[in-house]
Amino acid sequence: MSKLLIFLTLIPLLPILTTSFSPENPSGRRVLVLLDDLALKSSHSVFFNSLQSRGFDLDFKLADDPKIGLHRYGQYLYDGLILFCPTTERFGGSIDLAAILDFVDSGHDLIIAADSNASDLIREIATESGVDFDEDPAALVIDHSSYAVSNTEGDHTLIASDEYIKSDVILGSKKIEASADIAPVLFQGIGHSLNPSNSLVLKVLSASPSAYSSNPKSKLSNPPSLTGSAISLVSIVQARNNARILISGSLSMFSNRFFRSEVQKAGSPTKHEKSGNEQFLTELSKWVFHERGHLKAMNVRHHKAGEADEPTIYRVNDDLEYSVEIYEWSGASWEPYVADDVQVQFYMMSPYVLKNLSTDKKGSYFTAFKVPDVYGVFQFKIEYQRLGYTSLSLSKQIPVRPFKHNEYERFIPAAYPYYGAAFSMMTGFFIFTAVHLYSK
Amino acid sequence: MVKSTSKDTQALFHSLRSAYAATPTNLKIIDLYVVFSVFTALIQVVYMAVVGSFPFNSFLSGVLSCIGTAVLAVCLRIQVNKENKEFKDLPPERAFADFVLCNLVLHLVIMNFLG
Repeated sequence: MSKLLIFLTLIPLLPILTTSFSPENPSGRRVLVLLDDLALKSSHSVFFNSLQSRGFDLDFKLADDPKIGLHRYGQYLYDGLILFCPTTERFGGSIDLAAILDFVDSGHDLIIAADSNASDLIREIATESGVDFDEDPAALVIDHSSYAVSNTEGDHTLIASDEYIKSDVILGSKKIEASADIAPVLFQGIGHSLNPSNSLVLKVLSASPSAYSSNPKSKLSNPPSLTGSAISLVSIVQARNNARILISGSLSMFSNRFFRSEVQKAGSPTKHEKSGNEQFLTELSKWVFHERGHLKAMNVRHHKAGEADEPTIYRVNDDLEYSVEIYEWSGASWEPYVADDVQVQFYMMSPYVLKNLSTDKKGSYFTAFKVPDVYGVFQFKIEYQRLGYTSLSLSKQIPVRPFKHNEYERFIPAAYPYYGAAFSMMTGFFIFTAVHLYSK
Repeated sequence: MVKSTSKDTQALFHSLRSAYAATPTNLKIIDLYVVFSVFTALIQVVYMAVVGSFPFNSFLSGVLSCIGTAVLAVCLRIQVNKENKEFKDLPPERAFADFVLCNLVLHLVIMNFLG
């Protein structure tokens, strides 16, 4: 009886194995959504529906639910995590700061939304990801010249920002527009700053130069620490293992109310019918869950020009050809990646040859070059890091040998006069002996 | 003084030329052979000065063949010259045989070193 029970409980785990995250299928399907309050499920339903319509299985749970866990029996149950629980001090079940960081370190994606009373736990998760929220717990981002005009007398904490990062791969190639101009994105929440020396974090939506972060209810006693364009409203992190994290300072940015509301930026006469929030966040979530900008390189091949098989060693001054295939994940299948700036290096302590690879637009990149006049152990290296794309780092080692003693030129053209002189001496000697013997 | 030195040099050249005209023909042929080989050596040295000494072994081999030929021809001339008291008892055929053998060894070495 107990064996039957164990058997029956293990069978439902089988489908989980078949749809799990794998290198062949980078967009995982199962996402755990942790909420403070189940009302968020309906108040943010447009955002969740857009994820579900793209094929994600969302699992909604309260943040302090004691039964939640990210992994079981050593395997991760989910491929992505959304934390819409800014006030949670402690997660329930087996989730804590270390578990979330391990989840990201194993290559999975994360979306965090903080808000005006963000707990220390959420702030710490953000700090570990490279983003520092304002330390004042009651501070909000205030902007007296870029706020959204509303019917009620506001304290200018609802800001309309259109300072997007310029990247087609992160934000999609369709420009965010409701009418003719770019519609700004509504935001109400806390701001954060990025460490400028961190090369993995990017500001996707930054505040205008007139913004600052402080408590709207109290008078400013000393100058605010976060001001201007250094305030980032929404940031992304792409880790070295290609896990992607989205950090937003406002939970209400994702809400249906903001998605549907009209927007008029103070000081600008145009009133947009719809804010840019829905398009902005939908495109950004596509990037975070690897539906865009995820590259894979395979089939590295090299051979001597004119031959087909790959040699184990090259000789100095050989002509060789190198090819690689690079694909981009489109959410459903691998599409050929098209770019003109992929470079290959022939490297030994420093690159002796650096060439741009040309593409046939079907994913195959190739080039041909001459092995340099230096022997040693070289590597074919591709180091490709572009904004918003996963980084490609390939290297293949190949030795290069010098000439064998019989591979030099047989007759050196510069020495032809000396050859001629030696042979002319021999013929001269022969003629001289004949003349000497047969003259009187 | 100048006039007398120039007249002296002219007289010197005249006496040299007339004395040389009296040498036997076979010795003149050997002299011609020597001049030919030294001239070839000079051409090679000038060529090396212009172009550089890249295959240095080839240069040395070419120059050595010319100079070696000249040296062996001079030795032959000394031994064959009838007016030379030292080699009075040496048959000229023996001198010629020595000359041929030494030349063979010389050209063997040259061919090996020429590269």
